[in-house]
Amino acid sequence: MDDRHEEDCGCQEYNELSRRQFLTSAAAGVSAAAVFPAWLPKIVMSKAYASNRDIIVSVFMRGGADGLSLVVPFADANYYTSRSTIAIPKPDDARTTKGINLDGFFMFPQAMAGGTVAGTGGLMPAFQATDLLVVHATGQLNTSRSHFDAQRYMEVGKPIDPALVTGWLGRHLASIPPLNPTAPLRALGVANGLQKTLVGGPKTLPIADPTNYTVGGAAATQAQRLAFMQADYAASEEPLKSAALDATNTVNLLKSVNFTGYQTANGAVYPNTSFGRALRSVAVLIKSNVGIEAAQVDIGGWDTHSAQDPLAGSMFRTMQDFSNSLAAFYADVIATGNSVTVVAVSEFGRNVRENGSQGTDHGRGTVMFAMGKGIAGGRVITKNWPGLAREQLESGQDLKVTVDYRDILAEIVQKRLGNPNLSFVFPAWTPTMLGVTR
Amino acid sequence: MAPNENVAAFAEWESTLGRLVRRATYGPTAAEMAKAKELGFQGYLNYQLNYTRINDDAVETAVASKWPLLAQTSDVLFSSDAGQVRQQLSEATIYRAAFSQRQLYHRMVEFWSDHFNQDMDKVGYLLVADMRDVIRKHALGKFPDMLKASAHSPSMLAYLDQTQSRNTAPNQNYAREIMELHTLGVDGGYTQDDVAALSRVLTGWTVQGRGNFVFNPAIHDWTAKTLLGVTIPAGSPSLGQAGINEGEQMLELLVNHPSTARYISTKMLMWLLTPTPTETQISAIASVYKATGGDIKSMIRAILNDAWLPVAPMKLRRPFHFLVASLRSTNPTVTTLTTINGQLNNLGQALFAWDTPDGYPDKIEYWAGNIVPRWNYANVLSALKSTTSLAVDTAAYLAGSPDAAVDLMDQNFFGGEMPLVTRNALLTYIKGGTFNDTRVRETLGLAVSANAFQWY
Repeated sequence: MDDRHEEDCGCQEYNELSRRQFLTSAAAGVSAAAVFPAWLPKIVMSKAYASNRDIIVSVFMRGGADGLSLVVPFADANYYTSRSTIAIPKPDDARTTKGINLDGFFMFPQAMAGGTVAGTGGLMPAFQATDLLVVHATGQLNTSRSHFDAQRYMEVGKPIDPALVTGWLGRHLASIPPLNPTAPLRALGVANGLQKTLVGGPKTLPIADPTNYTVGGAAATQAQRLAFMQADYAASEEPLKSAALDATNTVNLLKSVNFTGYQTANGAVYPNTSFGRALRSVAVLIKSNVGIEAAQVDIGGWDTHSAQDPLAGSMFRTMQDFSNSLAAFYADVIATGNSVTVVAVSEFGRNVRENGSQGTDHGRGTVMFAMGKGIAGGRVITKNWPGLAREQLESGQDLKVTVDYRDILAEIVQKRLGNPNLSFVFPAWTPTMLGVTR
Repeated sequence: MAPNENVAAFAEWESTLGRLVRRATYGPTAAEMAKAKELGFQGYLNYQLNYTRINDDAVETAVASKWPLLAQTSDVLFSSDAGQVRQQLSEATIYRAAFSQRQLYHRMVEFWSDHFNQDMDKVGYLLVADMRDVIRKHALGKFPDMLKASAHSPSMLAYLDQTQSRNTAPNQNYAREIMELHTLGVDGGYTQDDVAALSRVLTGWTVQGRGNFVFNPAIHDWTAKTLLGVTIPAGSPSLGQAGINEGEQMLELLVNHPSTARYISTKMLMWLLTPTPTETQISAIASVYKATGGDIKSMIRAILNDAWLPVAPMKLRRPFHFLVASLRSTNPTVTTLTTINGQLNNLGQALFAWDTPDGYPDKIEYWAGNIVPRWNYANVLSALKSTTSLAVDTAAYLAGSPDAAVDLMDQNFFGGEMPLVTRNALLTYIKGGTFNDTRVRETLGLAVSANAFQWY
């Protein structure tokens, strides 16, 4: 083990972590070098971090989201020939149900665009305010079309490597001092089990419903029972020990947060969906200033093998939930000046040509989104639109991946989250900065 | 936080027999420990392995009366309320795990239902037959039999889109997962070309009616295929049902493949013994697999030996294990398990709801963070005294002193091996207020919440 790590690390919990792991390994009679864990930061912590770094909200669109419905390349004629029943009409179409032009080449479907006033739903206001960036023909270089392989690779931030179990956001948190050194909770995954994206993050817990994070029972004895846990789990083992201690502190912390009486800014209304409620809870936590610096939120429903119907059916509803929830978060949190960056990714896109049941099967390239005052938005960026003609497609069926999603995330990690340790957050990847931040 | 996968057991857990009971059951109750002591190490292991000799009539009678849909035909299940079917299968699964004395058998039922994971949102009632005819039938049988039964299971074929596959458009989903997840393992030495070829071999394996496996020669790809070093010559539709033999031949090849022996051995070692099995252990169990034709009992007998158990690290109970252990320990009067089953969702392990085919993780770093819902659940359970759902009886705890109550918890929750640190903490709590039903229930909740109760 390299001693420099501990000397140069300004982060107390990181020091404790590495020392404890070292002792455990030594006690087991195994050479520490042989078991040097893959998650341990091999980095030098800089003393000078920007103190005004953003909070990050990371969204995973699980199931393989159809980028060609979310942000439609209407000027590519092959979109219409490939999708005879599920295409969205062009902005200048005579019909009332049609797309809304973004830049002359791409358009939002109505489910994504929504209205034109912030807080009334839809993402057009954030786009027009140049706070929402779309990256198209993006995804990962690994060609797996398996949901769980592709999700795992994307969350870990590196394909294939079975030794790497931590997530990119977990490693970000592990390699930067806390925004608030006394915060009991630095990050949460709004889920029952910690999403892989966050694994490895210090003071990071899965909390499925932050509004109901309690040990229950009689109020009169609650403090006494929590004290029991705190003492009892102090003798436990990692990772349960830290999780339990963080949990007891977090129960007390969340008790002090007024979720039910929360008033949104700008009249924002969060949809009463699991995604909308999750973002609302994250908004409350951010505004409560309790030291949260990252949240992972998931939205499912994207695995549209049949009856996709982006105009009125299942894809329409999923997109509407996605856009209205994020629009509420934009109006409530970002438009009001909080330093927050949102990113949204999906494991892969879907076939360009629709299948025999008016759906689309697993594909490759798709879209991702970044939103915040520090994002150079109001644009749809691609690296030379690869085209939708059959000969332009990967394996003759899929939109090519021209931008590795890590290029976008790495720039945000460095420029918006103030973490220079990119080779630790995204091992074996040298990112190309595309100017997605301001 | 960093996963430490080698957690030394509590000093109080040094007895090899106690270690065996914790590994072979959903919790060492007083009765379970007494049985083990009566039979001795090998005797108890044999008793659990020869599960059909353990009379299970009382449990099956209760299951039949409380959850009658499970005995119904596919035709009846098809027209039944999907939520009801799901709830009945889930509650019966909890009930059997908690109250059947065939404990090791049910630990393996859980293991295999993750190995052959299916999401009931996708397969619905078909899973009832899969759990009965694949998982419960073969959980302690021969792995090759189970794999083949699974390949003929309408539920599995529907789940992994085999039912969508045809000669003109083969679907590779099942062909990939049967090698990646069910037999060879992801590093088992197959290629993408093998996946494609196997998907063509399996065209025609599909489902008819309300859930009947059929081989349909009309959608089988009869051209020649080469995979995993085997060449299957071209056939013709005139061969009809004989076309299924291509697939049967490949299943036979898969179950006899050395990678399968290693992969299944590794997973079973991780489930029963240690999150970090050694190469020596993997090789030893893989040899047993090869020598016995994948006999699961023989493999378990080789894994749970009195040399490896004493040095095995503790494992964190997954939520289902934790919840079932809490039922065994509190031994409530059960009218329904609806409330308890609902709690599994909060705990993060709703049954038959993991949507991807890899099954719920058995990784401490996945589960450790979700501890508050366990504490919340412990409180819900210990407070239950409902004659229409579930009632935890505190009379025995209240019959003596607070010390005697904690002694009884030691027996019921830890089989007499409650760590001292847990005992002292519970004693302090129970004596910290008036000794009454409420205090006892809170203390029972703390016993379920305690650190020591999360491990096995």
